[in-house]
Amino acid sequence: MSTAVLDQVRTILAGAFGSRLTGALPDDSSRPRWYREMQAAAWEAFEALPVPSRRDETWRFSSLKHVSTDPYSAPQELDQSARNRLLLRSAGLAATAGRMVFANDQLLAQDTHGDSLRQKGVIWKPLGQAASEHDELFRKYFMREEARLGGRKFAALHKAWVSNGTFLYIPRGVEIDLPVEAFHWLEGDNGSCFPHTLVIAEEMSKVTLLDHFESSDQHAAGMACGVNDLWLGAGAKVTYVCTQNWSRKTLAVQINNTVVGRDAAAVALNLNQGGAYVRGESVSYLRGPGGRSDMLSLSIADGQQEVDQRTLQIHEVPNTSSDLLYKNALDGHARTIFAGLIRVDHGAHKTDAYQKVRNLLLSDDCEANSAPGLEIEADDVRCTHGATSGQVDAEELFYLQSRGIPTKIALQLIVLGFLDEVLQRLPDPNLQSHLRSLVEGRFSRE
Amino acid sequence: MSSLVIRDLHATVDGQEILRGLTLEVEKGKVHAIMGPNGSGKSTLSKVIGGHPDYTVTSGEVLLDGENILGMEPDERARKGVFLAFQYPMEIPGVSNANFLRAALQARLPEGEQLEATEYYARLYQKMDMLEMPRAFTARSVNEGFSGGEKKRNEILQMAMLEPSYAILDETDSGLDIDALRIVSAGVNTLRGPSLGILLITHYQRLLNYIQPDIVHVMVQGRIVRTGGPELALQLEEEGYDFIREEIEQDKNAAALSTASV
Amino acid sequence: MPTETVSQLEIDRSVGDFSYPEQHQYDAGVGLSHDTVDYIANVKGEEDWIREFRHKALDTFYAKAMPTSWASEDLKAIDFDKIRYYLANGQRPTRSWEDVPDDVKRTFERLGIPEQERKFLAGVEAQFDSEAVYSNIKKAVGDQGVIFVGSTEGLREHPEIFRKWFGKVIPTGDNKFSALNSAVFSGGSFIYVPPGVKVKHPLQAYFRINAENFGQFERTLIIADEGSELMYMEGCTAPKFETATLHSAVVELVAMKGAKIQYVTVQNWSANVFNLVTKRGIAHEEAEIKWIDCNIGSRLTMKYPGVVLKGRKARGEVISIALSNNGQHQDTGAKMIHAADETTSNIISKSISIGKGRSTYRGLVHVPKHLKGCKNNTECDALLINHESRTDTYPAITVRGTGNVVQHEASVSQVSAEQIFYMQQRGLSEGQAMSLSVNGFVNDLVRQFPMEYSVELKRLIDLEMEDSVG
Repeated sequence: MSTAVLDQVRTILAGAFGSRLTGALPDDSSRPRWYREMQAAAWEAFEALPVPSRRDETWRFSSLKHVSTDPYSAPQELDQSARNRLLLRSAGLAATAGRMVFANDQLLAQDTHGDSLRQKGVIWKPLGQAASEHDELFRKYFMREEARLGGRKFAALHKAWVSNGTFLYIPRGVEIDLPVEAFHWLEGDNGSCFPHTLVIAEEMSKVTLLDHFESSDQHAAGMACGVNDLWLGAGAKVTYVCTQNWSRKTLAVQINNTVVGRDAAAVALNLNQGGAYVRGESVSYLRGPGGRSDMLSLSIADGQQEVDQRTLQIHEVPNTSSDLLYKNALDGHARTIFAGLIRVDHGAHKTDAYQKVRNLLLSDDCEANSAPGLEIEADDVRCTHGATSGQVDAEELFYLQSRGIPTKIALQLIVLGFLDEVLQRLPDPNLQSHLRSLVEGRFSRE
Repeated sequence: MSSLVIRDLHATVDGQEILRGLTLEVEKGKVHAIMGPNGSGKSTLSKVIGGHPDYTVTSGEVLLDGENILGMEPDERARKGVFLAFQYPMEIPGVSNANFLRAALQARLPEGEQLEATEYYARLYQKMDMLEMPRAFTARSVNEGFSGGEKKRNEILQMAMLEPSYAILDETDSGLDIDALRIVSAGVNTLRGPSLGILLITHYQRLLNYIQPDIVHVMVQGRIVRTGGPELALQLEEEGYDFIREEIEQDKNAAALSTASV
Repeated sequence: MPTETVSQLEIDRSVGDFSYPEQHQYDAGVGLSHDTVDYIANVKGEEDWIREFRHKALDTFYAKAMPTSWASEDLKAIDFDKIRYYLANGQRPTRSWEDVPDDVKRTFERLGIPEQERKFLAGVEAQFDSEAVYSNIKKAVGDQGVIFVGSTEGLREHPEIFRKWFGKVIPTGDNKFSALNSAVFSGGSFIYVPPGVKVKHPLQAYFRINAENFGQFERTLIIADEGSELMYMEGCTAPKFETATLHSAVVELVAMKGAKIQYVTVQNWSANVFNLVTKRGIAHEEAEIKWIDCNIGSRLTMKYPGVVLKGRKARGEVISIALSNNGQHQDTGAKMIHAADETTSNIISKSISIGKGRSTYRGLVHVPKHLKGCKNNTECDALLINHESRTDTYPAITVRGTGNVVQHEASVSQVSAEQIFYMQQRGLSEGQAMSLSVNGFVNDLVRQFPMEYSVELKRLIDLEMEDSVG
């Protein structure tokens, strides 16, 4: 693609991606040429793709009025005081193997805790740098699987605008004991960010990665359109946790593809607290025999929040397993949508696949939609799914009250207890307690 | 002719040889016991005789009253008179015990002939009484939600109803408490007689206190290494399988020698 | 497999597979237009309002897209221009089998209908292509004020009841096929049960397609007045023609306060019939509607019986059994719309996929805002018999607010090889073992069918299973 075309695209961008968007493609000159061309092509794809419609099964139940990208402008530069302020607020796990902090897709800090990761051959770099320095590896894996659950337009938007995030490559046999952590801040009114996480775990490697997403101002509007892809080679073990606390005026879309190789094990957990409309699309490809994927999510929604989660468990080969557990606690006028599908391909025998969604409704105006699906084309399988929607058990509440616990606290305890089953599925107790404190923190703020 | 003869039987599962030249003859009217350590191939033997599709016979024969039954479908073997009491009886949801047994008996009648219902129930109840089983049992689904003891009693009930010529009881004592063991053994002893040959497969000697065998075999690594009277079982009980080990080694050496001489 | 079972299978499968030469006095010709609609309305001598209803419905049908965005692409194989929409020999059924024309009578005798009527039914209606040829109700039942006639007759003789409810449960535009039915409907049953009357024995309708390239569009309307009870059963067969046949019915049920309706279907269309049916009931206060739906035949069935739970403490239930063999797709399910407090609904679906058969469950459960004490329980179990069998489950559940309990569970399993070996060891053939397992799988549901139907059902399952082994 010629520079003239790129300029043309830039002009289009200024006009089309929301009238408020000004400026050029992010960090233009520092990116390799192929990267810029890829982005220009993605922008064209974004423009060509239709706006989601409720007639599309993948957008059934969604409140599409929230989904427009028009009001938001491109990621803004931050001044030094904002950078310092956000760095101070970036408190996560007590012990990590490394930490990166981004705000509006700009890298604020990277702590490597010495040289040990590099010595082991681990590549852990901001995405933009990785694209330049490891372009072969980068191009092999970057957004290789398409968005299959309705978010193609958002995936294209992400690809057109992505400039930063975490690139993590773990060579064969390397185990990173402590978690690696990344913060992604969204700052300013009607701003946007396009965080990206790409984990490539080679054969028999092991890593835990934690992404924090948060708006710096809980009253500012914004858009976050992220992608996180996990690639697991044979026998690899990856634990990925994504916690978000976007502002109540944020449109947030997060698209995930996890590819699990032979005997590999992926555990991924999403904790949703913020956002106006939060869309999560998560696909696990069970691509090698013995592979396993655990898909976990807990969402706490109140006010006018809408949490819209779509999942797919694809069993492509025999002897794989997947286990999904999503829990939603709803209050106020909150809405949740869970639409999940277990797909067992022809010949994928000895598949063990489970899918469970549980909704706890705490108010008269909240609404939970569940659509757990199965498509099975192999006969020697064990597949079950379940969906329940109910309220706090009156007997349980009474029991707590009878011990002198005030109703409000008792309800909180019950909700925390309801959600804790999901946290307990995480392999690392430190991660569990960190997430538990985040969930408890939300209630103590009220 | 009135015997179940197993001659130089070799069988594999998943390509691995489990039975390695097993020879054994169970006569009608006799009770044989096969004992052996874990992994010696005891359960494989019962599955192979029953014709389980996972097991491949590579050589040898199994003759039922002179007729080779290898190559027959499992149900054909069963109708010829082979009965397997399973170590882990299957649960069959939604199929009542009464209907199940009825279908099994009906399958044994000549075409066009119908099982007589009154007679059937009279016999069924009589056998159930013998095994101390309540009437309500007939309406329950086969083995579904049964305790270990109930499942084993059900195996013996089926054996009583189907009147086989040869019965192979695979670890029938496993999962039984002392009371259940007593009831099941009493049931087997009642069925003992000149028209039935029994092969008891067991790891422990305790079953043999309740069902006295005529002949005891010791099986190691897929073949019979020693045969004797009931006293052999007692010796095993006291000394464990270790004293047989020497003989195994000898057996191996002998095998090596004979191979070498060929 | 022993050869005798094969031949037995063929004989039995042919029970419904025969046809007689066509001799139709009334024939709307091939293809669909507003002229077709006029032809039907003229033949029936219908009033203007119904004629207008039909024309509007045809426009709705034209305007609506095929539901291929979510349903099977196989729907595209239907060529609406090659179907014949009305075939009959008159519009007035006889009350006596003696008066039914010989060919038609022989058809129903071969299917055992008059015999069943004598044995255990309170009334029978027999439809041959577009119109009922026989319709009779036992005198004692008729004397209680129960009306049981064909829909053509119902519209003519009881317009005051008919018009009040017709098209109210299922609006014309509910889906493309309900619109089609509304345009060209003919035949089906009209039933009214007066307050407090409990009809002890079932009323039965039998739907028969005899002609090739034909579309059957019966329309059934059942009203159970306060505190009344009734069971309605329907059966259906068609010969196996070379070309596809279309059956697209609309069935509306109304259960007034405290009334109970049970609607039993055993669908055994030949494997070239597109069976696209809309069935729904409204249950008023403390009323109960139960759909017992069994689908064995047809090429593609799309049918999701529903209940709108309109009155407090109303109950709705769908019991569904589907069996899909090679070349078949049973796309079935249920819809439960809770529209009042303390309403309960229950869905149990069991499907069996054999060979390359495909079974799909689609469910919709809706509990809107500010209702209290609503309950739904859904269980879907699928059994896969062969490596190439397929099953899908697509439920959609919406619950608003506290005070309601909704749960859905689904599982997929197979007949285990160990289970089959266990039964073979007891002397059963592989086919018999398979049949027992499958019958065991659906046993708890089959028991809910009337005795005569459950025996028939077991036999049909046995026949299908004999073919599945190997």
